[in-house]
Amino acid sequence: MSELPRKAGGAVLVLVALALPLVLSDFWLQTGLFVMAAAIGAVGLTLLVGVAGQLSLGHAAFAAIGAYVYAYTTGETTTSVTGLGLPPVLGLVLAVGVAALVGAAFSPVAGRLRGIYLGLATLGLVFVVRHLLVNLSDWTGGFTGRSVESFALGGFSFSNRDPDYLAVAGVEFEGLHRLWYLFLVLAVAACWLASNLRAGRTGRAWANVRDSETAAAAMGVGVAQVKASAFVVSSGYAGLAGAMLALAYGRVAPDVFGLTASVDFLVMIVLGGLGSVTGAVVGALFVTALPLVLAQYSSALPFLAAPGSGGLDPSTASRIVYGLAIIAVLVFLRGGLAGAARRLRQRTSTPAAPPAPRTPDDGDRPVAVTTPRSKETTR
Amino acid sequence: MSYLLEQVLNGLSYGLVLSLIAAGFAIVFTSTGVLNFAHGSVVLLGAYLVAVLHPTIGFWPAVLVGMAGSAVTGVLINAVLVRNLADRKPDTAAILMLGVDIVLLTELTRRIGNQVLTLGAPWGASVVRFGDVSLPTGRVLAAGVTVVAFAGLWYLFSRTDLGVGMRAAAADGPTASLMGIRLSRTAATGWALAGVLAAVAGVFLTSFPAPGVAPTVALSAFAAIPAWVLGGFDSVPGAVVGGLVIGLTSALVTGYEAELEPFLGTGFGEVAPYVVMIVVLLVRPSGLLGSKEAVRV
Amino acid sequence: MSPPLLTVEHLDVVYDGTITALSDVSLTVGEGQVVAVLGSNGAGKTSLLRAVSRALDSYGGSVTGGTVRFAGEDLAGLDTAAVVRRGLVQVPEGRRVFRDLTVAENLRAGGYTVRDAAARAEARDRVFDLFPILAERRDQPGGLLSGGQQQMLAMGRALMVSPRLLLLDEPSLGLAPLLVDQIGEIVTEINRQGTAVLLIEQNAVMGLRVADAASVLEIGRVTASGPAAELAASDEVQERYLGVAVPVVATEVVGSEPAIPTAEPPQRLRVEGLTVRFGGITALSEVSFTVEPGTVHALIGPNGAGKSTLVNVLGGAYRATEGAVHYGDAELTALPAHRVAGLGVARTFQNISLALEDTVEDNLLVGRHRLMRAGVLSGAFRSPRARREEREHRETVAGIAELLGIGALLRTPVHTLAYGDRKRVEMGRALAARPSLLLLDEPVAGMTHGESQEMAETIRQVRRDLGLSIVLVEHDMPFVMGLAEQVTVLDFGKKIAEGTPAAVQRDPEVLRAYLGAAAA
Repeated sequence: MSELPRKAGGAVLVLVALALPLVLSDFWLQTGLFVMAAAIGAVGLTLLVGVAGQLSLGHAAFAAIGAYVYAYTTGETTTSVTGLGLPPVLGLVLAVGVAALVGAAFSPVAGRLRGIYLGLATLGLVFVVRHLLVNLSDWTGGFTGRSVESFALGGFSFSNRDPDYLAVAGVEFEGLHRLWYLFLVLAVAACWLASNLRAGRTGRAWANVRDSETAAAAMGVGVAQVKASAFVVSSGYAGLAGAMLALAYGRVAPDVFGLTASVDFLVMIVLGGLGSVTGAVVGALFVTALPLVLAQYSSALPFLAAPGSGGLDPSTASRIVYGLAIIAVLVFLRGGLAGAARRLRQRTSTPAAPPAPRTPDDGDRPVAVTTPRSKETTR
Repeated sequence: MSYLLEQVLNGLSYGLVLSLIAAGFAIVFTSTGVLNFAHGSVVLLGAYLVAVLHPTIGFWPAVLVGMAGSAVTGVLINAVLVRNLADRKPDTAAILMLGVDIVLLTELTRRIGNQVLTLGAPWGASVVRFGDVSLPTGRVLAAGVTVVAFAGLWYLFSRTDLGVGMRAAAADGPTASLMGIRLSRTAATGWALAGVLAAVAGVFLTSFPAPGVAPTVALSAFAAIPAWVLGGFDSVPGAVVGGLVIGLTSALVTGYEAELEPFLGTGFGEVAPYVVMIVVLLVRPSGLLGSKEAVRV
Repeated sequence: MSPPLLTVEHLDVVYDGTITALSDVSLTVGEGQVVAVLGSNGAGKTSLLRAVSRALDSYGGSVTGGTVRFAGEDLAGLDTAAVVRRGLVQVPEGRRVFRDLTVAENLRAGGYTVRDAAARAEARDRVFDLFPILAERRDQPGGLLSGGQQQMLAMGRALMVSPRLLLLDEPSLGLAPLLVDQIGEIVTEINRQGTAVLLIEQNAVMGLRVADAASVLEIGRVTASGPAAELAASDEVQERYLGVAVPVVATEVVGSEPAIPTAEPPQRLRVEGLTVRFGGITALSEVSFTVEPGTVHALIGPNGAGKSTLVNVLGGAYRATEGAVHYGDAELTALPAHRVAGLGVARTFQNISLALEDTVEDNLLVGRHRLMRAGVLSGAFRSPRARREEREHRETVAGIAELLGIGALLRTPVHTLAYGDRKRVEMGRALAARPSLLLLDEPVAGMTHGESQEMAETIRQVRRDLGLSIVLVEHDMPFVMGLAEQVTVLDFGKKIAEGTPAAVQRDPEVLRAYLGAAAA
């Protein structure tokens, strides 16, 4: 029933996104690239955390792996770093593949732990990966990182060269414009794949494991394997997001992929509403664009001060805003923005559901947050 | 030999400070089921209050205010935010605490700016000598205070009504409330205790040999998370053991960095606790002293 | 005459804003009285106690109508702690001692609200007088006590506040007959010392023996009440709680085509010497029985007999300590749960375990998981095969929904469904897995008599149309009698009888287990 307007809305959004480079300035184009890269990472994380119920604080670690694999496989060997000089397309595929593989290698942990326990284990992963990035300097360039080859397909480069001049409707299409379309294709594809996964057999198994591992196993769902698959898929998404961030920055450095980045991904999906693909995209837009926009227009905003002056600088302001946003969403908006939207739709379309009578009163209900999230009955 | 001994003593005293923080994680977790990601910021808050207030009211009164400030902050976080969560699940609470951490840490970072605030501790940069081993006075004091603090916790939890009530509430909240134990009160006490411990730890983490109060303190408080996990999620004695193991590991890895570097790379001291934590979670998910029910895998 | 100590009038209790647990319940407990409330699982007994002790809030429940008065005072607006201070204290079902706290610390927690040291010492002496064993084991952790001792500790813990009214929730649950008698005597003794008691019991014999007056609660309503002796003699109570079978209405057999593909033929299920221990507690001890292919086999027994443990072992959720279960040639006890399911063994849960936000269709499709092949990649890219598969299975699931009479609800989210329909969805999910052996864990718990009858008919139809074996776990004897070919009776983890329903019903051991030692 709600399929058609949804599809129509999606189509309009894609059309707008297609047309935007014709009118946007470089700053907005750059912001858009970051948003799309972050959105892909967030979509992957929402599959893991929202659908499969596995908390991860290690998403940035997998993004880092994607970014560095792309940089290393496509980069040239220089005096400071080595590289394989492979074609960029192959580099992108490898970025996703290696990140997913590392996710698979972590699956003995991911399959055995759940909820906040997995969250803590993945927290460790961020620190371990960061340590490796700093120390394997032949490949990574150490603290300062390394530069990233621009993307190219056939002879067509997604940079300001090859072809040197390209114009559409009188607007010169430089690297940012070209990357915009590449990223748009990737982002739409990533959302489409994630929606399919969620709606199909795999997504049902994930959700089932989230709700009750005992019930899932009783239905023939291999719990450890299903949890591991969610982890691998989300790692792959993170790998792609990392490679795209590398392309958008033109550089990779360890600091981009610290704990803060992991938390940022989590914030995106919580704001958007856990488990919602659309919500993840909206969350990515908010979290990524806010600091950039505030920084760009700080001089025009009276309450902001220049960085370092001790006043409220743009990055501080945006962090406080989205810290407060998380708190507000979790306290007031059950299910994030997506949940609020869903309730709004239900209220306007369907009459109130008939009351369900009776429940056995012997079952315990959660009183504090100490209860495990599952509704398990047989442990 | 004395170098090794010095590293060991350093590690142990640092570990005791970590165990104060880890105990805070454990107490909050058992009393309200919350993984308190904002605990590092509360540690920083305590130290910050001391640093800001000591010039006007003196060091010791400032420490008292710091402890009170951290405790009140914890109690408020619980009463205003955690108890009002729309969706009372452990993961949601953990993410909420990430949000609280962002706000607290950002605000404290803004206030501190680029400076390193001095703590004004009366023991300054003095050093205590035991034979040919020397230790910073702050560390020696830290060890003593920590031992006293844990003795106090032991007394509270085993000898007072409030402490026994808290343990009952942690073990089975609904049943405890049937005995007339008010869960909101035991929870508030837990958060307040964690806050006090955090402030004490904050003072020792920022006095010599540390340079002073800087935002990075919140991050080094993060190193207490592996200590907590190692000891067991719901165990205060476990926090002590975990703190000592992690403190010793970091001190030794850092102290022998030159020898270890070819294998482990530079800065492994910062990572070692997390490696230990991942291994522990894999082998013994309930930690060394935690009860089995804490983790259901 | 002074007003009664406790007066409950026209009480309505609702959970989560919509789910009614009690409606229009009234009862009184006079000073110095023992009043029993009888009823089966899901009747609302515990909700009644929680409403009185003001503990509903923490379970998502609330009083929506009526009043609870204690010693003349309306309890509305008070919290549990305030109620405890007024001398009204509840002992929860299942004892719930604090396992890591010592006996002395458990008692200390019980006396938390008593500030006066002398009063507390006096109360403790009284508890130790009543239960000398607790004094003996005062420094041991509560978790190390036996079941009966834990019940004593739970009661002693409540007595620490020297209550005027004690609320006891199923004190006989899972205890041996001798212990049940002992607990009964202790209740009488506590009462003799001046404490009124409101007692919740499934064990009607025990309840009626110690009580002065009693009420029967069924699906949230009081269906009978009066002096205990009078109730014990009434037909309704005899029939419903004292195990006298109701003749089952034979229903018209509707000749219908099997709507769903039938499974592989069922195999013989052999349970051999099964023992399950948790820590020190033996939940099942050397249980053996055989389920012949294509039959309905009932497992019955009082609460705490080990029935659910047994189902959980069959389904692979629990590990057996000793013994084995074979299904055909496969050894179920050697397999993880999802492999057991892969052999065609499907189950339902006692407390419904569905994805509440999802539609009925999606919940049923979960059952198809093991029969579908689409992996992560083909699912993500919606390969033609994956799409065809999805479509086919949706059709199958629609057929199952029709069979169970929930066809019209396919696109409805489960959380809007009535309780009985949810039970059907769970059954549908199990059937969707195309089982040859179906494990049903208390399929009619919390249902009205009419709904139970409908469910019985559904089970009969499923068995007839799909030709599978069914293992049915129930504590409701009359329900089982009209359905099963064979019955195995468990009590305290041991098999005490086996045979046809008629034979089992006459077995003296069974009568003793259901009716208590006095009846044997």
